[in-house]
Amino acid sequence: MADDKILIIMTSGPDTPRRCATPFFFATLATAMDYEVTMFFTIDGTLLLKKGLAETVFPREGGKSVGEFLREAIESGVKMTACTASLELHGLTPDDLIPEARLVGGASMWQMAEESKTVLTF
Amino acid sequence: MAIIRGCNLPEDLFYYPEKHLWLKPLGGNLFRVGLTPMAGKLSGGKLNAVTIRSKNIGNEVQQGKSLATLESSKYVGPVPAPITGIVRSVNERLASEPNLVISDPYGEGWVVEMEATRWEEEKAALLTGPEGLAEYQKKLEAAGISCD
Repeated sequence: MADDKILIIMTSGPDTPRRCATPFFFATLATAMDYEVTMFFTIDGTLLLKKGLAETVFPREGGKSVGEFLREAIESGVKMTACTASLELHGLTPDDLIPEARLVGGASMWQMAEESKTVLTF
Repeated sequence: MAIIRGCNLPEDLFYYPEKHLWLKPLGGNLFRVGLTPMAGKLSGGKLNAVTIRSKNIGNEVQQGKSLATLESSKYVGPVPAPITGIVRSVNERLASEPNLVISDPYGEGWVVEMEATRWEEEKAALLTGPEGLAEYQKKLEAAGISCD
């Protein structure tokens, strides 16, 4: 049973690789502290949930890919949600996303924010 | 002292093998808790931070709930409570010297001291002595973990 909920809103995407590792790291860390963590991807952040794309993004040359950070977060129990409208922005379909991503509307984001003790935006 | 799969595992400690924690009885219901060399190996050999949750200090933590967190460039994860108990003291040195957990796991690198509140119920799940270490060895072999 988790202590509290945390919501991390991810708007950064592959154009800004250095902004793409820390949010996942913080999410994984929060699960290690027994928080229930949800990440909500919108604007360019949604692209990181496109199958295979995060594996091609490297915050640091020669370091871990964003895909590895994403996988660690999923394995630690972080829930991944994506904004339906942002799919259209990038010409994506639901099938383009990794299977762990759940599509939700904007109102769900507000509801998750309302239920969370802390909301972070990247 | 026993060396198992390259890891030093003293026989007089209790072990919580799921997360490679050790417990040392200090008398009464008090136990010192730290991480075995396996935990150091799995976290990549160099820790950037060991953070003990401040809300746990002086409060009862249930077995399996997060006591502290480990951060390294390769790994981030919890240090779960190996027993249910009240956190009586924390190793303040870890705030500035987190790598003591790896460099001196059974000495200056201890993490917390806990007063067990359900020791009789929970001790059966911990491993200790030659038989316990043999079982720990089997678990390490099954998981392919070694300190070499």
